[in-house]
Amino acid sequence: MSNIMNFSGTILKNLFSKPVTKNYPAEPAQYPERSRGHIENDFDQCILCGLCMRNCPTGAIVVEKNEGNWKINRFDCIQCGYCTLKCPKKCLSIVPGYQEPGPEKFEEVQHRDVPAPTPKPAAADSAAPAGENAAQAAASTGDGYPQADLSQCVFCTLCAKKCPQSALTVDRTEKKWELAKEDCIQCGLCAQNCPKKCISM
Amino acid sequence: MGKQSIIPFGPQHPVLPEPIHLDLVMEDEKILEAVPSIGFVHRGLESLVEKKDYQEMVYVIERTCGICSFMHGMGYCESIEHIMQVEVPARGRFLRTIWCEMSRIHSHLLWLGLLADAFGFESLFYQCWRMREKILDMFEMTTGGRVIFSVNKVGGVLKDMDEDQIRQILETIDWIEKELTKIKKTFLFDYTVETRLRGVGVLTKEQAHDLGAVGPFARASGVVLDLRKRGYAAYPELDFEPVTSEDGDCWARCEVRINEIFQAIDLIRQASAKIPAGDLAVEVKGNPEGEYFMRVEQPRGEAVYFSKGNGTKFLDRMRVRTPTFANIPGMLQTLKGADYADVPILILTIDPCISCTER
Repeated sequence: MSNIMNFSGTILKNLFSKPVTKNYPAEPAQYPERSRGHIENDFDQCILCGLCMRNCPTGAIVVEKNEGNWKINRFDCIQCGYCTLKCPKKCLSIVPGYQEPGPEKFEEVQHRDVPAPTPKPAAADSAAPAGENAAQAAASTGDGYPQADLSQCVFCTLCAKKCPQSALTVDRTEKKWELAKEDCIQCGLCAQNCPKKCISM
Repeated sequence: MGKQSIIPFGPQHPVLPEPIHLDLVMEDEKILEAVPSIGFVHRGLESLVEKKDYQEMVYVIERTCGICSFMHGMGYCESIEHIMQVEVPARGRFLRTIWCEMSRIHSHLLWLGLLADAFGFESLFYQCWRMREKILDMFEMTTGGRVIFSVNKVGGVLKDMDEDQIRQILETIDWIEKELTKIKKTFLFDYTVETRLRGVGVLTKEQAHDLGAVGPFARASGVVLDLRKRGYAAYPELDFEPVTSEDGDCWARCEVRINEIFQAIDLIRQASAKIPAGDLAVEVKGNPEGEYFMRVEQPRGEAVYFSKGNGTKFLDRMRVRTPTFANIPGMLQTLKGADYADVPILILTIDPCISCTER
C-alpha cells in the first residue's frame, strides 16, 4: 500500500494551495538587478572609438565614427557583455528589460552630428592653412589626441601595444614617441595603460 | 521466429526533443539492433575558433549547450589557463564550484522531469520543474542569465556573490532538499514507476567499462568514475565521494541522479562555508602557446576540451568531446533485446544532448 500512495500527499497539498506560476501580464515579472536585458549606451560619454564593434562576438554593433552613428542590432546581440568589458569610457552597460520580439531584424541607431572629420583639418592645416579652418583645427588638435610628457616617458611601448589602431610608434633606442593622428581614434587606451601616467588626452 | 522489420525512430519524435535518428531492427516487439545516425544540428562551433580570438571564444563555447553552459565555458577557460599557466584566485575557483553544482542540480531536476514525462507521469514532471525554476532564479540573481551566464573568462570569473546572495542560495537548496525528499519516494519506490524502470536496459559493469560509458550512466553500473575527484576548480578542498549504484538498469540511473542532487546540495553548503575573500580573476596577458586536454565532470558525464594555441590570439584547434557522444555505444547496447515501448526511456536515461554532441 505504501508503494502506491506515495504521491497522494503532494496531490492533496496541491489541491488546497495557490498556483506556483504567476498570472504574468496582470502581475508584472520581477527582474533582478543583474538581469541581462539589453545593452545601453550612455551616448554623451561615447567617443565612437569602435572597440565594441571590433570585439562583439556576433557583430551586432556597428560604429560609424565619421557619420557619428552608433548602431546595434538587438536581434543579433547575445547579451554576453564583452563590449561592456572592452569599452574604454565604460559608457556601455547591461540593464534589465528584454528586446521585444518582432517580425524582422532592425538596427537601433544613436546619432550625433559630427562637425567635420577631425583628421582632415590637421592634414589641411599642414599643407595649406585655410583661413576659416585654422581656428577649428587648432582647437581640435589641442584636445582629444594623446600627448606625452616626454620628460616622464620611459619608452616602455605599452601604449603602442595597447593601441587598437596601431597609431603609436615608440622607439626605445632612439627615444622616439610618435602619433599618427590620421589613425588615432582617441579611445584613450594609451593614457589608461601608461604605467608612468605621462600621457594626457 | 517472427518477421524482421525496420522502424525509424526520430529525429522528430513526440517524447524526445533531441534530434537523434535510430533505425530499429525489430523482431515482433523486440529490438534486435539499433543503428544510430546523428548530424542533423551541426553548427560548426569548433571552426569558429579560427575567426574569434581566444577570449571571445568563451562566449561561443558556452553556447554549445543550454543546460551545462557554465561548465562548457569553464572547461574551455581552464584549458587555456593551463596552457598560459595562469592561477585562478581562490574565490574565483569557489564561485565556479558553486555555479557548477547549481548547474548539476538544475540539469538533474530537468532530467527527472523529462523521465517522468516519458513514462507518462505528468504531475511528477511539473513537480520537478517547479523546483528547477528556483535554481534558475538564483542563476538570474547571481549572473544575470537564466540559461547562458557569461560569467567565465580566461583567468577567473566576472561576477561576485555577496553575503545576501549566498544566503538566498542556501535557503533555496534547503527548500529543494526538503521537496526532493518527498518526491524521491515516488521516483524510487512507487509501484507504477518501479515497473517502468526496474530491470529495464541493464548495462553491466564490464559493458559500461568496455563501451566507454561516462557520468551517471557509468556510475549506475558500478563504475567509480568521477572527474571531480581528479581536481579542478575548488573540488580538491571539498569532501565528497562519487555516487554509484549496482544494478545498471534505468532505476539505478534514476537513483544515482537523485543522490547526486543531494550531493550537489552538500557541496554547495561546503563551498559557501569555505569560500575565502579575495580577487575574482587575474589579468591575462599574451596569447596561448601549447596544448592541453581538460577533463570536466558535467551533469551528463565527462567532457573533454582540447585546445591548441600557436602564440597568436587565434587558436589552432579547439575540440570538445561531449558526454552524450561517449554514451551512445552504451545506449545501443541497452537497446538490444529491449521492448519497443521502452525505447524512449532507454534513450532518456543516458540524458542525451544531441545538440552538444554535434556542436
